[in-house]
Amino acid sequence: MKKIRKTAIRRTAQIGFLGLFVLTVLQASYPFQPWIPPELFLWADPLTAIVTQLAGRFFDPVFLIALLVLLSPFIFGRAFCGWVCPLGTSIDISDKYLAKKKSKSTQKFRSVKTVLLIIFLLFAVFGVQLSWLMDPIPILWRTFGVLGMSFFFLFTNTILNGLYDANIFPDRVLDIQDNISAWLFPVSTPKFLMLLLPFVIFIVILAMGKISRRFWCRNLCPLGALLGLLSKFSPFQRVVDKAACTSCSVCQKKCKMDAIEDDYIRTEKSECILCLDCREDCPTDAISYQFKSPVLMKTAPDLSRRSFIGAGILALFGSGLFSLNVLNPRKTDRRLRPPGSLHEDDFVERCIRCEECVRICATSGGCLQMAFLETGLEGLMTPVSKYRIGYCEFNCNLCGQICPTKAIQPLDLEKKQETKIGTAFFLTDRCIPYRLNENCIVCEEHCPLPEKAIKLNEKEYTDLETGETRMIAYPYVDTNLCIGCGICENKCPLEGEAGIIITREGEERF
Amino acid sequence: MDRRKFLKTTAIIAGAGLMVRKPGIASETSPTVTLIKNGSPQELAAKAFEMLGGVSRFIAKGDYVMVKPNMSWDRRPEYAATTNPELVSAVVTLCLNAGAKKVLIVDNTCNDARRSYKNCQIQEMAGKAGADVRFVRDTHYVDTEIPDGTSIKRWPIHAEVFKVDKLINIPILKHHSLSGLTIGFKNMMGLVGGNRGRIHRPFAESIVDLNRVIIPDLTIVDAIRVLRRNGPSGGNLNDVDTLNTIIAGTDRVLVDAWSARVFGTEPESLEYLKLANAANMGEIDTNKFPAKHFSFST
Repeated sequence: MKKIRKTAIRRTAQIGFLGLFVLTVLQASYPFQPWIPPELFLWADPLTAIVTQLAGRFFDPVFLIALLVLLSPFIFGRAFCGWVCPLGTSIDISDKYLAKKKSKSTQKFRSVKTVLLIIFLLFAVFGVQLSWLMDPIPILWRTFGVLGMSFFFLFTNTILNGLYDANIFPDRVLDIQDNISAWLFPVSTPKFLMLLLPFVIFIVILAMGKISRRFWCRNLCPLGALLGLLSKFSPFQRVVDKAACTSCSVCQKKCKMDAIEDDYIRTEKSECILCLDCREDCPTDAISYQFKSPVLMKTAPDLSRRSFIGAGILALFGSGLFSLNVLNPRKTDRRLRPPGSLHEDDFVERCIRCEECVRICATSGGCLQMAFLETGLEGLMTPVSKYRIGYCEFNCNLCGQICPTKAIQPLDLEKKQETKIGTAFFLTDRCIPYRLNENCIVCEEHCPLPEKAIKLNEKEYTDLETGETRMIAYPYVDTNLCIGCGICENKCPLEGEAGIIITREGEERF
Repeated sequence: MDRRKFLKTTAIIAGAGLMVRKPGIASETSPTVTLIKNGSPQELAAKAFEMLGGVSRFIAKGDYVMVKPNMSWDRRPEYAATTNPELVSAVVTLCLNAGAKKVLIVDNTCNDARRSYKNCQIQEMAGKAGADVRFVRDTHYVDTEIPDGTSIKRWPIHAEVFKVDKLINIPILKHHSLSGLTIGFKNMMGLVGGNRGRIHRPFAESIVDLNRVIIPDLTIVDAIRVLRRNGPSGGNLNDVDTLNTIIAGTDRVLVDAWSARVFGTEPESLEYLKLANAANMGEIDTNKFPAKHFSFST
């Protein structure tokens, strides 16, 4: 019988965790009946846990799950990176096709990730959440959740609609499409602004495989840096039988992480991800992995004092830039936040830009979008409601149910239905009855409140040219009733800007 | 994409001539409307068919039937914003028992389609009865010419409308602040795509125009529960009245006129009905054309 290869076990684990991750992503969809929490990987991510709680100055026991990952380096080093991290697995897969067989040494860039980690932590100390930009789990969440969803639609709909149009098994095609709609995705194609940023970030991460394998994990990943720092004490480690080693250098060439020193004996433990490739490929079977008393390595490319001070100064001024609101148009912008959102300052500190809410909203009313700079520099990629694209579905409270950091508070449906996102105002120089003196009332028709917040004032209108008189229903908003769900703005039949808009007036924050 | 759509549209128009859904049943000398009360939805539906000449008058063996309920809103049935699901599934069962090959149910909803289909319970109940309840996708519409249209000359309409043998319209009777009431004519808006808000101006002309090419064989109006105020979306149980009535017939103008009567509204006050009557689409005078009444209990 052939022995099961240890690397095969590792690969199976990697694929398993990647599959689990995809499952958690797929579950973030109406009808929301998760059997694994979609937030699982985010809760288990110690970087997210530390930075978010530090920046947001709060404690949430769900993040205790992250302790499992955070403490794992004390035994197994960076095994998380090699065995669990779904971004690492994605990189491994793309490296297989992208990376050159013999990667260049990139050891001189290694400390960059530690500098980044320190910058993110210092930003968090000053109350600014910035790690979302490079935290692997949120990166992968928005890549799979939002980008993946869009591409899935593009490809499946192109094929299935083509088959349907060509009358090839039209009933089976509808069966497939309706089943997809029943469990995974909405009926109509989700529309996302700002897809470019997650796309570019993900492509760049994968493309860096051209320089070296796992370039991201070696040099840039702040979560890898955090686990690496704690791995120095890991007792489970690579051990080389000096007598058996022929210094053939196969292991060093094979090492994805460039973690093996020039003597082929010593291992940089803060880099080793325990992938076991070297053990497998060693022609003399000199390599094993075992528990051994941890030896601190002197060669570790530790951070110089200078770069530490540099990171500190950058974080001080950088986070200062955010709190100075240089780019924050508080008064002027039309930023609308999902119902249940915390006060703006707390909100941007807690939001980790995983875009879970944006994704699940796209399977419902579809108003949530990733912000560009319209909510300020600090609001980049946070969720905002864009009512010409979608609206807040009256019977939906899923964004708050799914937010992993409770930047959007989970509200009961009843509570959500009376929570004011903003207030509707008519633009009477656009609104059809006011501007053209013709009846319309599409907004009134769609208003979901039990007692409609849009009311009609019927008045006689006399056409000055023809002298003809007709009754026109002029709509107006009862601002006490309006919750700013935006279905009126969404359904307004005007092209371009609507005749009714939701403003932040009266918004309720938590 | 556009080119393909264009080719497809031209092909269909060239093949079928001008697309107008032609009724699949013989016209009657004098229009009959039935008004049935106080039974279960199943009893009401069966009685309506019986009084109109039996199911076999409407459904032939092997027919491809489209049933068009109102599933437009994400509301439970008791809010009377959507058609009674039991009535819809009763009609589906009757059609299938009469030998229909397939019963298709579609609606272009106002709220999210999945939520609306589910919450109005038609997806589940009519599906169990054997209907194909399908979501509508943008590609399912076909740009259709409306030759006699006074307000709209062409509009994207669900392609299956022109393929089915029979079309049964099952609207719910409810308040609407623009047309006064929404009944059968307005329910056809669920079979069209495009920027539907545009249809609201001028509303009556446009709604009549759509009904020039979408012609049902039978209209069954659900007045089991009616929405008195805050229509068409509703949301307040205090606005719902229970009338336990259905109004059915082949003359869609007269059916809407009698439904208006049941609601307590003068048919002549409904602008679109006057226009439809003037366009020879049906009778509006409820005095001249009385309804056959039936009540399961007194």
